[in-house]
Amino acid sequence: MLDWLPENVSTFGEGVDHLFHVIYYISVAIFILVNVIYVAFIIRYRRKRKGDKAYHYHGYNLLEVSWTALPLALFLFLALYSDRVWQDIRYSEKTPNPDLVVEVMGQQYLWHFRYPGSDGVFGRKHIRFISTTNPFGIDPDDPAGRDDLLTVNSMHIPVNKTVLVRLSSMDVIHSFFLPNMRVKQDAVPGQWIDVWFNSVKTGEYEIACAELCGSGHYLMRAVLDVHSQNEFDQWIDEQHENVRASIAAAGAAPDNATLAAQPDDRQSPTE
Amino acid sequence: MEAAVNTVRHEHGEGHTHSESFIRRYIFSTDHKMIAKQFMITAIIFLFIGGAFALFIRWQLAYPGEPIPVIGTMLPSTWVNADGAVTAEWYTQLLTMHGTIMIFAVIIPLLVGTFGNFAIPLMIGADDMAFPVLNMVSFWLFPLASIIMMAGFFVEGGMAAAGWTGYAPLSVIASLGQTLWIVALFLIGFSSILGAVNYITTVLNMRAPGMKMFDLPMTVWSVFITAIIIIIGTPVLAAALSMLFMDNFLQTSFFMPENLTVTGRDMSRTAGGGQPLLWQHLFWFYSHPAVYIMILPGMGVVSDVLATFSRKPLYGYMAMVFAIIAIAFLGILVWGHHMFQSGMNPLLGTTFMVSTMVIAVPSAIKTFNWLGTMWRGQMEFTTPMLNAVAFVSMFVIGGLSGIFMASTPVDVFIHDTYFIVGHIHYVLFGGSLFAVFAGLYYWFPKMSGRMYNERLGKWHFWMTFITFNGTFFPMHILGVGGMMRRIYDPTVYDFLKPFQPMNEFITINAMILGFVQFILVFNFAYSWFYGKKAKRNPWRANSLEWQAPSPPPHGNFDKEVRVYRGPYEFSSPESVQDYLPQNVSPEELAAQWTRHEQRRAQQKSEP
Repeated sequence: MLDWLPENVSTFGEGVDHLFHVIYYISVAIFILVNVIYVAFIIRYRRKRKGDKAYHYHGYNLLEVSWTALPLALFLFLALYSDRVWQDIRYSEKTPNPDLVVEVMGQQYLWHFRYPGSDGVFGRKHIRFISTTNPFGIDPDDPAGRDDLLTVNSMHIPVNKTVLVRLSSMDVIHSFFLPNMRVKQDAVPGQWIDVWFNSVKTGEYEIACAELCGSGHYLMRAVLDVHSQNEFDQWIDEQHENVRASIAAAGAAPDNATLAAQPDDRQSPTE
Repeated sequence: MEAAVNTVRHEHGEGHTHSESFIRRYIFSTDHKMIAKQFMITAIIFLFIGGAFALFIRWQLAYPGEPIPVIGTMLPSTWVNADGAVTAEWYTQLLTMHGTIMIFAVIIPLLVGTFGNFAIPLMIGADDMAFPVLNMVSFWLFPLASIIMMAGFFVEGGMAAAGWTGYAPLSVIASLGQTLWIVALFLIGFSSILGAVNYITTVLNMRAPGMKMFDLPMTVWSVFITAIIIIIGTPVLAAALSMLFMDNFLQTSFFMPENLTVTGRDMSRTAGGGQPLLWQHLFWFYSHPAVYIMILPGMGVVSDVLATFSRKPLYGYMAMVFAIIAIAFLGILVWGHHMFQSGMNPLLGTTFMVSTMVIAVPSAIKTFNWLGTMWRGQMEFTTPMLNAVAFVSMFVIGGLSGIFMASTPVDVFIHDTYFIVGHIHYVLFGGSLFAVFAGLYYWFPKMSGRMYNERLGKWHFWMTFITFNGTFFPMHILGVGGMMRRIYDPTVYDFLKPFQPMNEFITINAMILGFVQFILVFNFAYSWFYGKKAKRNPWRANSLEWQAPSPPPHGNFDKEVRVYRGPYEFSSPESVQDYLPQNVSPEELAAQWTRHEQRRAQQKSEP
């Protein structure tokens, strides 16, 4: 049954899948054990002759204790085992240093992505500034925010790099689901939640919304492009160029002159 | 206390002789048996409404965008598009109402409302509930609430559409249908609390003379414990719903963060500063225990049915009772396992994972004890027994699939996928509903005074069992494939396209499953009037309800009931037959033996 799992391409996904398999085989074993006994009882102990009495027996305490203790031990083992994987993927102190930070904002029914501009830093943001035209709430007074790179329904990352996704929503709760990365995290309005992953394989993968967010829930699909580092650098340079061009175009308008000057001043090559 | 019990007995002593008006008897009745029947009939009507909603959902998933056959073009234009296909808006309303109806208007009223009301007074040898009028109010709140909820059909924007979980802020920025949903759930919660108060008081105060708590059948124990869970959990739901109502209707901000920005909606009157996760904590603090509200009575019914038809004492009675108590206690500590991916602190994820794993233990204990009950039995496969046997096996699947979700890292992947949908249906349909069927067939002779048709009962069981598995087992596979729940059209996603044949397979099974349920209705409706007359104790069972006439009159028992032993003395060497009712006195038993010896002596001398 587990062959139906989508291909895993994330580093910690192997641990998740391994645990999935362990629980699967334990469950199948228990199911078979219980049901073989069950069916055997059903066949063996059906009434064959009218008037026969069954075995009058109320139970045996040692048996009760043992079938309490054994499942308890098994389930605690599973809990401890699961917790090791869980700590690795979710505890903040175990999160590796990110190579790339991407902010993700859910909106009915699309995903916004935000990368730092060519200055390498995100502009300041505040929830007060969030609007349909400014999904991340970037502070208009912070010059660092002006060259931030925004995309819609399209996420690009380099392969073999730790990517930290900083997740929120501007309207209702969404859930950021990357089946191939074994990542799922709810995006909660008013709250920024970090989740990380590291893809080991280039390619195009799907991003879905997994939490009911309205009647267009099913349309909330985005695409994740995992590039080689070179390709990714090329992509992001191109995008930065586009942003600069559009800022310059806006700067051509007289009243925006002061705004446009700043990003160019601070431009320095980032890795 | 003794005095109170006596007064009630006295009042009803000759109760069945005085005649009542039609309205007092059939509509605003205070008789627990009539109230049980009212719960049953209302819930079965809703079973078909909720089931029809599910079939519309299934049709859309198997054949996205294709017109609904036959009735598609007859449906109003707010539900279907011009071709007669389900619209995305209506789809979201359907999935919301399917979940809400099945949980609050079908399973809880059947297990708690019907069996609780019918079985408790009869099984403890009482004349009626402790508070008969309260009981009537508890029932009438339920149709009232249902009408309010269904009124959403006719208001602008349609029914509630935020899922049965009603997550804020989606449920706050919703239309009038959602407000009606909130009010309806609040009233249903009220009905539950009134019922629970009644059950607890009745079980504690009105047991027949000689009946100790540990002489109670498992059905009574389980409904009793369930009532305690209701008392603890439901007020929290009421509080949460009140807050949601205020957010939804009066622009408060319990669940609304600052500056929520919704396209096409003016949010300037909402101050913000609230926390969406608060709703989830409060909702699940009720709704996880509610899962046990929906399964514990089923476990009780199944325990009684299995013991009766295995002709054996229930294996490990005390262990079974304490397992229920353990489930109830732990059930209050595990709500966070619905929220592993919600943005809750991951450390809490660890905590809730451990408590969730531990709660699997009492469920395992119950399963092993059911196996023990059947061991060396003399099993008779009547329709109630078949349903009870199926319950155990299906519950094992539902329990095992729960372990996947309990494990936080695995839950990362399967959370909000069809794996969950498969799991909940194995617990609520494979578990609760099979238990409901077992109980309905089991007590049908007592309720109606007539026998149901055994052949139709078996057809209904086998068809249901097969198509149930055909419907819900493949959902686990869809979930492993990553298919999200509550999506209108899975073919939007490339990675879900290969699953379309499986979706079609599920839908075909679901349709048969739906139509097979008419066999049950026909069987009951026909047998109610034309079935063979039922004897007092057709199943040769021990508990007290079988010592009353079938159907029991107003006031229940036609003779004084005194209890001498537990409810599971099947095949006891002390008894002449293979059962020994709770109320047979030692003197009567001795007399039975004497008669038996005489008969044997006669038989020997005759040839």
